[in-house]
Amino acid sequence: MRRGERPLLLLPRPLLLGFLVLFVCQLFYHHANRAQMAVDYQALDKPLSASVYRGIAMGSEQLLGYLLAIRLQLHDNQAGQHFRYSLIDYEVLIEWLDRITELSPRTEYPMLLASRVYTTTGDQARLRAILGFIQRRFDDDPQLHWRRLAEATVIAKYKVHDLELALAMAEKLAQLPVSVEMPNWARDFQFLLLAELNELESAIALIQALLQTDAVHDPDEKRFLEGKLLDFQQKLSESRQTPQN
Amino acid sequence: MRSQTISLFRFLMLGILSKRLLVLVTIMVLGAVLSGSFINELAIINGAAIQTAFVADFLRYSLALLALLMIATSVAEDYEFRQFERLLTMPLARWQYIAAQTLVIACLCLLLTLPAALLVSLYGDAAIGLYWAAALWLELFLLGVLGLLAILSLEKIPQAVIFSLAIYMLAKFSGLISLMLSESVKLSEGSVGSRVVEFIFGAILYVIPGSKTFAQNDVFFASQDLIAMLGSQLASVSIYALFLLAVCLIDFYRKEFNL
Repeated sequence: MRRGERPLLLLPRPLLLGFLVLFVCQLFYHHANRAQMAVDYQALDKPLSASVYRGIAMGSEQLLGYLLAIRLQLHDNQAGQHFRYSLIDYEVLIEWLDRITELSPRTEYPMLLASRVYTTTGDQARLRAILGFIQRRFDDDPQLHWRRLAEATVIAKYKVHDLELALAMAEKLAQLPVSVEMPNWARDFQFLLLAELNELESAIALIQALLQTDAVHDPDEKRFLEGKLLDFQQKLSESRQTPQN
Repeated sequence: MRSQTISLFRFLMLGILSKRLLVLVTIMVLGAVLSGSFINELAIINGAAIQTAFVADFLRYSLALLALLMIATSVAEDYEFRQFERLLTMPLARWQYIAAQTLVIACLCLLLTLPAALLVSLYGDAAIGLYWAAALWLELFLLGVLGLLAILSLEKIPQAVIFSLAIYMLAKFSGLISLMLSESVKLSEGSVGSRVVEFIFGAILYVIPGSKTFAQNDVFFASQDLIAMLGSQLASVSIYALFLLAVCLIDFYRKEFNL
């Protein structure tokens, strides 16, 4: 049997008043705290010079480099709150990434953070800045960073919608010497992007050069290139016929 | 003579072992494992290598502090309970006490290094685990001898521990301090004061251990010539430890004990 309840108005007035006051206090406190939390985003401090970090590392430079990278990776989580990447000053962020790379040059961590984490922002200027970092640091060690440049090429094409930039990066990948071990698809970006830019003649010339120089040994890759060559040649002839028609 | 030194060593070693050494080492290992696992969870790539390097460094510094405290406490108790006066009434030379203490330091460091070797081998490569154990033993031994010198000279635990840690940290941060001093010379446009300070620090560097005397943590991230690194560390530690022991002997022989 359910126990009967007294109407709220019959309760002692001080109790009701106290409840209301405390309820309003709680609402105000929460609101003020929320506003405060939004304001409380702690911006990234500028990093010190690499030589200072080397001194602080007490001989464990590589470990310090990784720990700094993890600290940077956690920067957007403050006081249990996740902050948008648009709040982060990407200039300072890139300085940090540069510093970590200088501290431990053989690490892939800063480039990975750049290509996978900090490219999730929708801000075009920030995206361009981080892609610039990837493009610049790629030259340090192409063997270690080719994946990041390939990812950056895709981001430049689909997120920044800048085919010229994507092509510039794809060219860097395609022009790497054969001593740099990477799958053929990474080198193929260049002619695929050229075709997208409607530069079919250049794309055809590139594929023909690849097939003629015997640089491709994999039969599947060869078949793919031959298919693309036919496809591009057909598109080119169609585009030439269209104005005549 | 040798049997007397060995007996003294056994007596001193038992004193060290009775100080809850196992419990303290277990707590440190547990701390290293937990914090290492946390770091591994945070890392996006190379988690295993970062965890191993972190655990190795965590154990290095915590075990260094533990070794220093153990040695300082052991000698301080000898001062407090007037053990030296009692020992010197026996047919025992002062150098035998230093020799026994050196053996104690060597054995204590070996005991402390074992869990580090096991843990690092478990997380990473056995060869790197062996390197780290040997390099850590050398580093701890050097710090132990430094602690022995400090406690023999200063006679009080806080002063001795602070002095030893200061020298240890000075050696570790010598690169940073040199950089700061050279920058200050540049900023002050080569003022005499800055240059004198830089010169004095340069002179101090001659009597503190160099960077080669410490275990190299970078081995966890890149393949390096472990034997060559260990050889260089062994040479560096041997020379510096012998120098410190010589200073210990001079200081100990100079002390007056009221028999």
